[in-house]
Amino acid sequence: MATKKKRAPNVENDSWVVVAADSVIDSQKHHSDPAFVRLRNPSTDAASLYMLGSGDVQLYEVKAFEEDFHSWFIGQTVQRDGRLIFVTPMDPLYLILPYLIKSGKEGKFQPVDQVVMDEEFPACSRLLSCTRSLASLHHIAEEKEAGSLKFHRYSQERTMNWLKKKVERTIVALKKRNISVGEGVKSTTYIRVKSEADNHEEDYLRYAHGLISEYISDDLSKALLSHLGLPELTSPKETEPPSKKRKLSDKPVEAEEDYTKFNSADFARKPPKKMTAAQKTLAKVDKTGMKPMSSFFSPKVKAEKK
Amino acid sequence: MDLNPFEADNSVSCQLTSEIPEVCRTEDCCLGIDEAGRGPVLGPMVYGICFCPVSRKEDLKDLKVADSKTLTEAERENLFQKLDEAKSYVGWALQILSPNTISTSMLQRTKYNLNALSHDTAIGLVQYALDSGVQLKEVYVDTVGPAEKYEEKLSKRFPGIEVTVRPKADSLFPVVSAASICAKVARDRVVKGWNFAEDLGEVDSDYGSGYPNDPKTKAWLLKYLDPVFGYPQFVRFSWSTAQTLMDSKAVTVHWDDDEEDGEKAAQRQNNRSMLSYFGASAGGNEQNLTHQTHRFFTDRRLKSLDTL
Amino acid sequence: MMSCNTSVTRLHASSVGQAERAPVHLMPCEIEHNGPAQVSQYFTATTKDCKQEKTVSFRGRGLKGQELSCPQGYTGLVLKEINKPGSDQEDRTVKVSFVFDKLTYWNLETPPNSDDTVVMAMDWPELAEAIHGPVED
Repeated sequence: MATKKKRAPNVENDSWVVVAADSVIDSQKHHSDPAFVRLRNPSTDAASLYMLGSGDVQLYEVKAFEEDFHSWFIGQTVQRDGRLIFVTPMDPLYLILPYLIKSGKEGKFQPVDQVVMDEEFPACSRLLSCTRSLASLHHIAEEKEAGSLKFHRYSQERTMNWLKKKVERTIVALKKRNISVGEGVKSTTYIRVKSEADNHEEDYLRYAHGLISEYISDDLSKALLSHLGLPELTSPKETEPPSKKRKLSDKPVEAEEDYTKFNSADFARKPPKKMTAAQKTLAKVDKTGMKPMSSFFSPKVKAEKK
Repeated sequence: MDLNPFEADNSVSCQLTSEIPEVCRTEDCCLGIDEAGRGPVLGPMVYGICFCPVSRKEDLKDLKVADSKTLTEAERENLFQKLDEAKSYVGWALQILSPNTISTSMLQRTKYNLNALSHDTAIGLVQYALDSGVQLKEVYVDTVGPAEKYEEKLSKRFPGIEVTVRPKADSLFPVVSAASICAKVARDRVVKGWNFAEDLGEVDSDYGSGYPNDPKTKAWLLKYLDPVFGYPQFVRFSWSTAQTLMDSKAVTVHWDDDEEDGEKAAQRQNNRSMLSYFGASAGGNEQNLTHQTHRFFTDRRLKSLDTL
Repeated sequence: MMSCNTSVTRLHASSVGQAERAPVHLMPCEIEHNGPAQVSQYFTATTKDCKQEKTVSFRGRGLKGQELSCPQGYTGLVLKEINKPGSDQEDRTVKVSFVFDKLTYWNLETPPNSDDTVVMAMDWPELAEAIHGPVED
């Protein structure tokens, strides 16, 4: 067979396949166009792409489904870029929250339009035009009115309650969609440390917490975890093969790091402090001969799926 | 020979059979196997079996069937006619392997080579004869590969039948010549009247012998090369002739199991998933090493963007 | 990559009115080409529609696929950049060139099933609604 060619970079990309909420294009009643903008991602603190709908009334999140070795046929054309971009409505409070927290450190009530400002991301002030922003600020801040003016001060307590409701909503959706929140690894090698039912609810809670944590800072994520009554998980360090570990990064894996985004089942972990007799027995199961972690990261992922 | 069942869908393989002569169910029979169209880059490969009672071997010889390759197309048609007239004691069956079947088998993730495909097809046809009640005692096979191994394979597969695998069997045993004529006639007819499933309008049917070294075939392959799709399903994509032409004249296509690309991709994927567990985000925000994307997103290959 | 954060990409929304409906296929290979292709002549014409799955071949490789609808309340859009600016400081504009409400995705040899990543990715809008929808007071 002929030799395989190297992949050339895709430089001339000027076309995108998008699945967008109907409201994105439904907004012809407004006279301005929706626009993709860059804003500060509250979880990574770096630039991420969002969309502001017509008249800035609605914020959208932009995420790409991207798998290697994909392209599109669109009508009678080929589009090399095989990504599928999702444009979904987003709660602007997640993006406003970091600015309120920052100003909240001064402990003063302030006009919100003086708080939500960012030299690096000038578009962020447009977040306040979103219909839902001002109307829902009370979820994350205390409000004071003086005459026609409104002042706000970040409230951790309100924010926690708000985020908890977010987690609860998310759990409902996860269950409704039948999304597997349990085994993060193949079930044949997975050992349950707790009973089915116990694990189930906690798995959902942790999973939903992890999802919400995509929209908040690490500090807030940890605070939310304890607000939800969930203990932090111990480091998965021990279960990882030492040979792989060194190759990953020069930085050591810190024990203080936030592993909350791992589901409880993702890694065999230290047994919880209080154990039932059955759990103790399970914890003593000889794990020799079971697949090492490295096998989950071996190539041929595709073939295994069959 | 009714080719309609194949022509109704020439992208898949198809079995065509004559009626089983009654005498073949009661008397000991011999059976010949041969193929037509193994080498060409165009069209199907046809496997044929022909069988008759051992006692009628001489009658078959009298029909003057000979190696199909030494005959003209008209002579082959004529001989097939004679075989058809001898249907009281001669039966046949054909397996038409469509070029699309050949391409997709040979290019499968787990490669299915042409020899294996040929052997399995031959075995399938012998089994068909047995299942139809033909009293098989002797089987003669023409082969291109090493005869001994193939003979052993078939003898093991069909205990109680005397199997003879020989190169050039079609010139040695009339029953193999007969099979070869059936196969070649079918292949010729199918190629001549190829029904292009693609919407290509009037297609030039002057494609020569179909062998890669035939200038007519070469010219046809150049004329009908599409930069994106390569060729219609009439062409065997697994042939190096087709591959080489596509490599030089069509756009490059990469698959996840391409040797080089695939390995690199697997490695990249591997590193990426490891990193997404231990620090760096898979979402292009590499500067933030403490952020790890939730597995809801990594499982679904969803990531944030920072630019369109 | 981190070009200027002040530039925006405007989506010329009214262009959706002129956008044609087009069949879209997600192919399990990377085709190094952006531009015209005889999709209907070669691909659509040879696609077979069985009960459970569709089959076709591309470049001699067997594909199996199925249709996938856009989630409820969502529309498929193909966006195309118009008047590409010279620098990344300038605003960009995209228009809707095609619309679709279902796509066909293809696997290399593997029969389509609900574990396919693109099928799972379609979970996202409903989950996003849970994460981003308004909470009660």
